[in-house]
Amino acid sequence: MNTKPDSAPAQDTPSSFALPVVSGRNEATSAAHDHDHDDVVTEALAHASTRAVPAEGAYGKTYWLGLEEKLATPAFLEETRPEFPVGADLPPTGFARREFMQILGASLALAGATACSTRPQDERLVPYTKTPPEVAPGNPLHYASGMTFAGHTSGLLITAREGRPIKVEGNPQHPINQGAAGTFEQAFLLSLYDPQRARVLRQGNNPRSLRVLAEDVSSLVRTKAAGDGGARLRFLSEPINSPLLGDLRARIQRKLPSARFHSYAPVDQAADEAHRALFGQPTHALYDLTRADVIVSLDSDFLESRPANLALARQFADRRDPKNGELNRLYVAEHRMSITGGMADHRLRVKSQEVFGLAAALAQAVGGPAASLGASASGKAGALRPEVASWVQAVAQDLKSKAGRSVVLAGERQPAAVHALAQAINAALGNLGATVKVVPAAAPEASGLAEVRALVEDIKAGRVDTLVITAFNPLYTLPVDAGLAEVLDPKLNANRKALSVLYAGHYEDETSKYADWFVPLAHQLETWSDGRAVDGTVSIAQPLIQPLFNGVPEAELYALFLDEPYRPAYQMLREYWTAQGGEAGRADFETRWETWVSEGVVPGSLAQALTASPDLGAASTLVGAYQPPAAGDLELNFVTDYKLFDGRFANNAWLQELPDPITKITWDNAAILSPATAKRLGLENGHVAELEYGGRKLQVPVTILPGNADDTVTVNLGYGRTGLHEVVAKDVGFNANLLRSVNAPWFDGGAKLTKVRGSHTFSRTQYHWRMEGRPLALDMSVSELAHPSKKTEHILERVQGELVLGKQNNLTDFDYAKTPQEGYKWGMSIDLSRCTGCNACVVACQAENNIPVVGKEQVGRGREMHWLRIDRYFEGSENDPTMVMQPVACVHCEKAPCEYVCPVNATVHSDEGLNDMVYNRCVGTRYCSNNCPYKVRRFNYLHYTQGKTSTEKMLMNPDVTVRNRGVMEKCTYCVQRIERVRINARVEKRLIQEKELQTACQQTCPTQAIAFGSLADPAQRVTQLHEDERAYRLLHELGTRPRTAHLIRLRNPNPALVAAAPAEAGTTHEGGH
Amino acid sequence: MSRLSAAMLLAVPAIAIGGLLAYVRSPHVTNQAHPVEQPIEFDHRHHAGDEQIDCRYCHWTVEKSPSAGIPSTTVCMSCHAQVWNKSPYLTEVRKAFFADQPIPWVRVHNLPDFVYFNHSIHVGKGVGCATCHGRVDQMGAIEQAAPLTMSWCLDCHRDPKPNLRPAEFITSMTWAPPADKAEAAALADKLYQEYDVHSRTSCSTCHR
Repeated sequence: MNTKPDSAPAQDTPSSFALPVVSGRNEATSAAHDHDHDDVVTEALAHASTRAVPAEGAYGKTYWLGLEEKLATPAFLEETRPEFPVGADLPPTGFARREFMQILGASLALAGATACSTRPQDERLVPYTKTPPEVAPGNPLHYASGMTFAGHTSGLLITAREGRPIKVEGNPQHPINQGAAGTFEQAFLLSLYDPQRARVLRQGNNPRSLRVLAEDVSSLVRTKAAGDGGARLRFLSEPINSPLLGDLRARIQRKLPSARFHSYAPVDQAADEAHRALFGQPTHALYDLTRADVIVSLDSDFLESRPANLALARQFADRRDPKNGELNRLYVAEHRMSITGGMADHRLRVKSQEVFGLAAALAQAVGGPAASLGASASGKAGALRPEVASWVQAVAQDLKSKAGRSVVLAGERQPAAVHALAQAINAALGNLGATVKVVPAAAPEASGLAEVRALVEDIKAGRVDTLVITAFNPLYTLPVDAGLAEVLDPKLNANRKALSVLYAGHYEDETSKYADWFVPLAHQLETWSDGRAVDGTVSIAQPLIQPLFNGVPEAELYALFLDEPYRPAYQMLREYWTAQGGEAGRADFETRWETWVSEGVVPGSLAQALTASPDLGAASTLVGAYQPPAAGDLELNFVTDYKLFDGRFANNAWLQELPDPITKITWDNAAILSPATAKRLGLENGHVAELEYGGRKLQVPVTILPGNADDTVTVNLGYGRTGLHEVVAKDVGFNANLLRSVNAPWFDGGAKLTKVRGSHTFSRTQYHWRMEGRPLALDMSVSELAHPSKKTEHILERVQGELVLGKQNNLTDFDYAKTPQEGYKWGMSIDLSRCTGCNACVVACQAENNIPVVGKEQVGRGREMHWLRIDRYFEGSENDPTMVMQPVACVHCEKAPCEYVCPVNATVHSDEGLNDMVYNRCVGTRYCSNNCPYKVRRFNYLHYTQGKTSTEKMLMNPDVTVRNRGVMEKCTYCVQRIERVRINARVEKRLIQEKELQTACQQTCPTQAIAFGSLADPAQRVTQLHEDERAYRLLHELGTRPRTAHLIRLRNPNPALVAAAPAEAGTTHEGGH
Repeated sequence: MSRLSAAMLLAVPAIAIGGLLAYVRSPHVTNQAHPVEQPIEFDHRHHAGDEQIDCRYCHWTVEKSPSAGIPSTTVCMSCHAQVWNKSPYLTEVRKAFFADQPIPWVRVHNLPDFVYFNHSIHVGKGVGCATCHGRVDQMGAIEQAAPLTMSWCLDCHRDPKPNLRPAEFITSMTWAPPADKAEAAALADKLYQEYDVHSRTSCSTCHR
C-alpha cells in the first residue's frame, strides 16, 4: 500500500535521492579534484581543516559565531571537525543524571503514554457539574491579565483551556505590549505551575493558618495605633505601581502615621533620581522612536531593558524597514556587546566610566543650553581618548542636523549625572515634547539603595521592631555590603530578638531563611490585582485559576495591617475602583468594570505628558555631585541578566535553558572579557579566575566575548542562588552580588582578575547546529543594496538567482495553490533588519509546542530541544565586530532533503507546503536530521517529559502531542493553530483571514520581524515580504526551496564615520587573512 | 519430510504474521462490540430512542468544539428535577449534583493521544453521528461501533461521499441514503458541493 498522501508533491523521482552537490569553496578546487571521486571523504575533511577563515570568497565578508572559529584555534577545529556537536551522533544513553533530576522539578513536560499503542482500559471522563457559561470544552478562552515586575505592569492576554492557563501572550490593546510579550512575561506561566513554590505559611518552623497571622498582626496594629503610631514598623516593598496597593498603603499610613514604607527597585534608580531633580517631581521619560531619525544610546540597552522596551523595540524596528521611509541611525556607546549594541549602525566600545565624559563632550559639541553643563562635566571627566572624541564629533554633527528628530538615551546603569546630561542634550536639540515625553512616574516613591540604607541604619539604631518585606528576596539582590543581611542574621546581630521580620515571597529563598513569619504569596495569575505601566496605563489583572499552593494575595496581606474585617482582593479592588469614579461613576460602574476586566486596560489612564523643561540648575548640581569611580586598570561591571533579571526568574527552567542572546551560554553566568583583555590577563574561555574587588574575592569562570570594551569585566546578576527549595536555580552560576558594593552598584574600577587552577565547562549553544561556515545571515548598508558592488551582486545572485532545472533543481515542482480560492500555501518571512535577537519567539515556541527542558548536561551534548534557535553572527574584527541575529527554525523546504531519507515516511509534505512530522511513525533513525542542511531537527534522546506532577501537566498545550523518547521533532509552523483556524473558517464556510492566524513566534515578536501566511494570497504581508528585494532563501543554491524567506539586514552608517573607519579595520583584518 | 519442513518454515511465520495483522484489526483489539459498564446505568435506548431527544441536547458542543462534550450533571438535572426526581436509578446523579462532584464516566471512544479528531468540522460537513457511533439508540450501554483505526478514518477521508447526509438529518439514527444507487450518488454529489467538503489526507490534518 502506498502510504504517501495522494496529493503530496512528487518525491519518488529516482534522481531525488541525491541532493545536488554544491562545491564548497570554489569551482577551481572541485574541478581539479573532479577525477578523484574515491577520496571525497578525505577531501571533505581537508576542506574542514583548511577552513581557517570560514568565509567563502564569494561573499566577501567574514561571518563567524565565536572567537575560536574566527581564529581557528586547534581546539575548535578538533571539536568541530565532525559535522555534528559531540554527542549528537551517539546512541541514547544514560539517565538519572544529577542536573536532569534537578530540572525534573519544574519544567519537564507531560508524561503521556502518547506514542504508545496500548490504550488505558479505564480512562475516565470527568464532566463539569455545572458547565460555566463561557466554556465549551475543547475550545480555548482568552483572558486579559497582567504581570507586575520592577514597578511596571505588562498587559497580557492569557489562553486558558478548561480553566487552566496554558499560554501567555501580550495584550493587543495594551499600548506598551501591543500584542507582544517578552521572555519574562511568557515564562511567568511556568512559575505559576512551579511545584517548588512556597506553600506553607509559617512562624519560625511552625505552620500557621492565615487567621493566626491576622490575629497577630491586628493585635500588633492595635498596640501600635494606640501607642507610638507605628513608629517602629517598617515596610520594604517593590516600587508600588498598583493603585490599589498605593491606596492600601495610604490607609495604613493614616492608621499608623509614623510607620515608614521603603521601596527598592533593582534597576532605574539613577534615572528616577535624575528626572526627579530635573523636573521637580517623580517622572519617567517616554521616548517616541517613530519620529527619531538619529538615536544615541549612552550605555542604554533600550531594546531589551525593562520596562518600556517592547514599545521601543517595535518603534525602532518600524524605522529599520526601507519601505517605511528613510532608516533611522543608531549610535551606541557601551562597555559590552548588548542586544541594542548589536542593532547599532555605529557602536563604540567604551568603559562604563567613560560614558560620563562622552556624554559631557556630546553636550558640549551639541551646544546651545547644554554646552555649559557639558563644559563643567568635561572638566570633571578629563580628556577623552582620541577615537572617542572624533566619534563624539561625528555623532554631534548628525544630532544637530536632526534637531527635534533625534533622541539621546542614557542607560539604567549610568549615574544620575549622565541622565541629566542626556536630557540636557535632548532639551538643547528641541527633542523634549517631540521624541521625548515626560510623564508622572507610575511608582512615584524613591526606590534607590538609599532607602535600604536608611532602613538598615534605623534597624541598627534599634528604631525598628517590626519589618515587613514584600520586595523580592532583598538579602540576595542587594549588594553584599548593604548591611541588611547582617541585621537580620541572628548570628551577626545580637539584638535580632528585638526585631520581628515578616517576609512574603513566592519561594523559600535566601531571605525567608531569616524571617520570623513567612507568608507564601499568591502568583499574579491566581489573584486579582491592578498596576500601572510606565506610560500610566492601568491594567486590571484578573486571576486565571484558584491559588494552587495556598498563596496569599499581596493586597490581602497589606490589608491585615488595616485591622479591618477580612475582604478578598477582588472586593477591595472593586471598591477602590468604584470610589475612583466618584458618585457619577457609580451608576454605570458595573458596565465599565466589565469592559476594563475584559479588555485588560482602563481607558483614559494614559499619563498626560508634562510640559516642563528640565531645570538645568538641578542638572549641574547632579553633575557637580558626580563622583568618578575608582581608577584602576580593570573595570568591573554588573548587569541584570537577559534571562533571570536580578534572580527573580532563577527557578524558571525555560529561562535557565534559554541561550543568552549574546554569549549563547545556558544554565550559567560568566565573567565576560574582551579578547584583548583576556590575552593580556592570560585567560581563555572556560578558565577559572579569581575576581577581586573592594577586598572581596570570588572564583568565576571566564568567557571571552568579542565586542566588549577592553579592560572591563562584566558579570551577570541573578545566579548563584542558595535558596532552600529553589532546586532549579540552586548552584547555577555564581552570585555576583557578593562583590557588589552599595557605593558603586553597577560599575567601578580597580578590580583584579587572576587565573587560578581549575576549569569550567559551559553549556553554550554557540557552535551547535553550525552551518559549516556558510554565511547565511546577510547584512549590508542601504547604499550597497541600492547600488550593489560586484561582490554584492555576486552574493545576491547566489542567494536569489534562478534555480536551473537539472543543476540545482532536479525535482519537478509540485502544483501548489496559486490563488486564495485554490487553497493555502503557507510561508514565513523573517526580517533580519527588525530582529534584535531578544529570544521572545524562542520562549513562545517552547510554551506553545510543549518543548521540554533538558538540563545543562544535555545542552552540553548538543541536545537542546528548542525548535527555533537564534544564530548570532559576528562580522569583522575580533575585538570590535558587528553583530547579526538570525532566527532559524524549520524552513519547510518545498523539496525537503529530510523527506526522502526517512525509511518510514514519518516526515512528508502536505499539499499546502508544510513539512509534516508524524511522531507516531517516527522510529528514530535520525537520518532526516543528518540530511537537513539547516540543522533544525531535534531528537528526544531521553524521555524528557516523564515524571511530571499533576500540577505541571496542567501547563501543557493539549493541542500538541507530547513527544516520547526516541522521536524526532521540529517546527511545524504551528500546525495546530492552522488546523484550528481552518476548521473554524470551514465551519463558517469562509477563507482564513490573515489576521486570525499567527504562529506563536510571530504573535509575540516585539518587532514584528516574523510574518506568516498564505503565499497564494498576494495581499498578505508575508507574500509581499517574500517578493521584497531584500528577501533571500537560506542555502538557496541547494535548490531546497525554503518556504521561510529571510530579509537582508540593512545598516545605515554615517558616511562621515565610515570614511574614517577603513584604515583601522584594514589593520585588524590583516591578521585574519 | 524436508519438503514439509521447508513449507512449515515459510508457512508458520506467514500465518503468524497474518494472524497478528488480523488480530490487531479484530474487534477484540479495537475495543468494538464491547458494551462498557458505566457508574450510572444511563440508557441511550430510552433517551435517544424512545424519547427521541436530539443528541445535541446533551452533547451541545458538537457543532462548535473539537469535543462533543460529556453533559454536565446540570443537564441531567434539567429534566430529572421534574421527571423521575425520586427514582432510585438517579440517586447517584442527585448525589453528584448536590455534592458538586463530577460523575466519573468511563471513556468508550478513545483515540491515541497523537490523534486530533474534531467533531465540529465533521458534523458541519454532513457526517452524521450514527456514521461513526452506530445505532446509539439501540445500545443499552454504549459500545464502540466503528474500529476507529487509521485506515477506517482514511477510507472516508479519501472518499467521503458515501457518508454524507443532509444537515437536517445529522443526528438522525434512522436516516439512510436513498436505496436507488444513482439517486444516492446524485445526493452525495449535491451535498459534497453544497457543504464544500474537502476531506484532507495530509498527516497534519490529524497528527500535530
